[in-house]
Amino acid sequence: MAHQWGMVIDLDRCTGCEACVVACHAENNIATVGEKEAARSRANHWIRVERYYEGDFPDVKVKFMPVLCQQCDAAPCEPVCPTFASYHTEEGLNGQVYNRCIGTRYCANACPYNVRFFNFYNPKWDKPLNLQLNPDVSVREVGVMEKCTFCVQRIKAAETNARAEKRDVRDGEIQPACVQSCPTNAMVFGDLSDPNSRASRMAASSRGGKLLEELGARPKITYLQRDTWNGDENA
Amino acid sequence: MQRRDFLKITAISGAAATLDACGSPDHQLIRFIPEEDLIPGIATWKPSVCTMCAAGCGLLVRVMEGDAEVVRNGQLGLMQMGLAKKLEGNPAHPINQGKLCPRGHAGLQVTYHPDRIRTPLMRSGARGSGEFKAISWDEAMQHLMAQLSSLHEGRLPGRLVFLTSPLRAQRRNIATTFAGGFKDSQYIEFSFFDEGVVRAANSASFRHDAPPTVELGQSNYIISFGANFLGTWNSPVAQSLGYGAMRQGRAGLRGKFLQFEPRISQTGANADEWVPCAPGSEGALALGIAHVLMQDKLRSAASAGAAGELIEGWAQGLAEYAPEKISAQTGVKAATITRIAHEAAANGPAVALIGDAAAAHTNGLFNTLAVNALNALLGSAGKAGGIQFSPVWNPSNDKTAGAQEASGAEAVRKLAEQIESNANSVGALLIHGANPAFATPAAWKLRRALEKAPLIASFGSFIDETSIFADLILPDHSPLESWVEDAPDSGSLRTVVSVAPPAVLPLHDTRAMPDVLLDLAHRLGGNFAKALPWKTYDEAIQADFAALYKSKGSKDAKTTDDFWSNAQQQGGWWGPQEDAAQGATGAKAASGSVKYAAAEFDGNQSEFPFHLMPFASQMLYDGSLAALPWMQEAPDPMSTAMWGTWVELNPATASKLGIKQADLVEVASRHGSVQAPAMITPGIAPDVVAMPIGQGHENFTRYASNRGANPISILAPMTVAGTDSLAWAATRVKIARVGEGKLVLFGASLREEPPDAKRR
Ligand code: SF4
Ligand code: SF4
Ligand code: SF4
Repeated sequence: MAHQWGMVIDLDRCTGCEACVVACHAENNIATVGEKEAARSRANHWIRVERYYEGDFPDVKVKFMPVLCQQCDAAPCEPVCPTFASYHTEEGLNGQVYNRCIGTRYCANACPYNVRFFNFYNPKWDKPLNLQLNPDVSVREVGVMEKCTFCVQRIKAAETNARAEKRDVRDGEIQPACVQSCPTNAMVFGDLSDPNSRASRMAASSRGGKLLEELGARPKITYLQRDTWNGDENA
Repeated sequence: MQRRDFLKITAISGAAATLDACGSPDHQLIRFIPEEDLIPGIATWKPSVCTMCAAGCGLLVRVMEGDAEVVRNGQLGLMQMGLAKKLEGNPAHPINQGKLCPRGHAGLQVTYHPDRIRTPLMRSGARGSGEFKAISWDEAMQHLMAQLSSLHEGRLPGRLVFLTSPLRAQRRNIATTFAGGFKDSQYIEFSFFDEGVVRAANSASFRHDAPPTVELGQSNYIISFGANFLGTWNSPVAQSLGYGAMRQGRAGLRGKFLQFEPRISQTGANADEWVPCAPGSEGALALGIAHVLMQDKLRSAASAGAAGELIEGWAQGLAEYAPEKISAQTGVKAATITRIAHEAAANGPAVALIGDAAAAHTNGLFNTLAVNALNALLGSAGKAGGIQFSPVWNPSNDKTAGAQEASGAEAVRKLAEQIESNANSVGALLIHGANPAFATPAAWKLRRALEKAPLIASFGSFIDETSIFADLILPDHSPLESWVEDAPDSGSLRTVVSVAPPAVLPLHDTRAMPDVLLDLAHRLGGNFAKALPWKTYDEAIQADFAALYKSKGSKDAKTTDDFWSNAQQQGGWWGPQEDAAQGATGAKAASGSVKYAAAEFDGNQSEFPFHLMPFASQMLYDGSLAALPWMQEAPDPMSTAMWGTWVELNPATASKLGIKQADLVEVASRHGSVQAPAMITPGIAPDVVAMPIGQGHENFTRYASNRGANPISILAPMTVAGTDSLAWAATRVKIARVGEGKLVLFGASLREEPPDAKRR
């Protein structure tokens, strides 16, 4: 059976530091847009950290939640695309074929997680910032929708390596840029079709749940809810 | 270019990332001989060291072949060379173990920044006008040499002052030795967040002049007094690694984390219990907890040893700090203090951390000594999961050469004063890595002093508020283009000596600062050449590694050469696990010598009713990273704000003053005022306003100049008693709405309530 790539994010570890956010920019040639465009909600962050305040001073609680493309199995963004630019891969990824995309933006409307970004302009890197661009990742042009790919270039590279060495991809061998960087090890990536992968085992945690599960998009990211300290449990 | 053309081109070249190069006149440039041993399309990972903060995390630089415009001997041309594509944590490095913080990633943009200084520059307009002309290295060196030798030979009046960001290892040794060759010279280290208070307190309590290294993964109870230890404080990546393990790394065991602070920080946001306290009351709180521990016989006064005895009244059980007595002053309920003491006592290892604003009140040293005493009483000093200290490798170079060393903001204030009173007293001012004109209170009038200094030379990579006053700029390589070495004194319980050769060739006509100093030393000859015998920086580092090998040996290396080449491949040398655990070994100050000190504030309460709480920006840090577009556009974790400054206000305060979200607010102290949009948030006490440090640059690249406001500029010139550090949390302000403002937020259209991920 084909791999089914998925992720587990432990919200009890996540500190909202956003190392993942900047790592994704670096890995995936995500352009910055500048203050003016950012003010028009056109900044691109394939992964973002949502934060929620609960309660009033002094009883304040804050929750962080990193949100990226959930790589849904019943992805609402896919059936609405007239050109099949947004499509499902055999390995369960929600792919985006840039050169099929004609910019209807239906997918962005259909996505319940707000993780798709439209290129209103050609991206720009003030020279020589262009030298940092990752040659493994396409630069997206004006009129094209983009979003988290689960760092498909890293998945493909690892699969090619494994094939050349006549073996299967090892659990933990693939690390998307966000996962690799996360200073608290809050994110775990792996093959959900392998019940023994670390991601599968963690996804089975009693703290596990899906984002907006009731919508039925069948996301492949499991969030482990923030845990609590139970008084003197350790005493 | 049309999209279809673009697709054609990418189909042919196969390298989609060349978009920007298309259609440019690159083909008219001459081509230099390509760098050898590069295979197109194949990535290699080269070690380096992160220099974005003082933590010293290890890097792996992903290098791939590409074409770059470079300058060689004054000639612009194209070169096929290795280019840095991404920074990753070095998995072998004991501090960050393969991880990076957001700021670490953005180090890449220093190297490829469009506004980097590309050649040596000489001032061509008035001081501070920003007018420079490009000159050659020969001219620059001749010019500087003429001044320095005149100074050295007494033909010019005044002393040499070397003002730098805190340095370590051979880089520091070269700088201090060079400065020390001049008569009566001074070596000043300055950075806004210098941990000077924590160092001073740890020296007094534990005889370690360093911030602590805490293996949080082994702690069961963490009490943090204002330390933003998961964001920017001390060694944030190492601390985050431990924190993740503390939370979910041990089956069936999850520690508790509690944070005291008047404004919720990114770190505080993760606490199991967030307890606001009055600004400056942290020391009293720590001693309140200590009192309960002793009073309720959970710990004995004597068990704390010397670090406890320092505190006046310790042996008598600190009766004045009984929870009921300090409750009003700290703003924390007596029952809460008592409960915390009992929880901490029952859930060891318990550890207390202090940093940031809690240590930056006028009584910051008292607060930190009090927290140290609490640690000792909890039994955490020198224990796993408690306060420990990194073993540090000190190069054994002799320190006879005598530059007078100073550090902290106070040293910069004195320098300004010195130049102000006699401009010729400082014959030459060399500046490296520090931007004190941005990062010290305007009240110190450093800029006015810089206008008067006879000669200023900067090694900076960018024009900033300080280097704009320079007569000469001798631009350093970027860290990725340079040899790097480091010996951090926090973050790991193994000895860490990082080293790496340049990961990529330099892009511009730059030279490594230590190489420039060594060159100058050779030209100056005599004692300089004797004290600095190395021709190049890497020779100096190699000598240090030879000394390291001799002193520590190594299982994996039979010869010094093997040791040296292993270290370069690995990104450094780390001591064995066993040589770790530098415990806390008794106090230096006298028993009972630490008396209660209340925080003092500048500005009276009736006219200036609010405490101004500046804080380190998660992305821009102390402002030195504001030039990097990734950092400008990464949303602030607590507010999602990008590209600007804001003022955080409690909702009750805002409604009382008629201030709405995003209204432009003026924040005024006795020393000046700044304006920024309001950010209304429940996580701040009603009598506190908070502003991120980092923006408000006047001259700092296209991305940072003239953007936002700099709260440092309005700070009161107060110091932390007993130290040379700025008391940057000691300023009172008044605030008023002045008009409409604008916040740039990310995901402003997203839902306000957390979606309730259903439990299975
Ligand atoms: S890097 Fe990790 S800890 Fe930081 S915000 Fe992202 S998921 Fe959370
Ligand atoms: S998986 Fe890759 S593309 Fe997706 S958010 Fe993480 S770093 Fe970005
Ligand atoms: S904590 Fe971040 S900025 Fe500091 S050295 Fe480590 S990666 Fe670099």
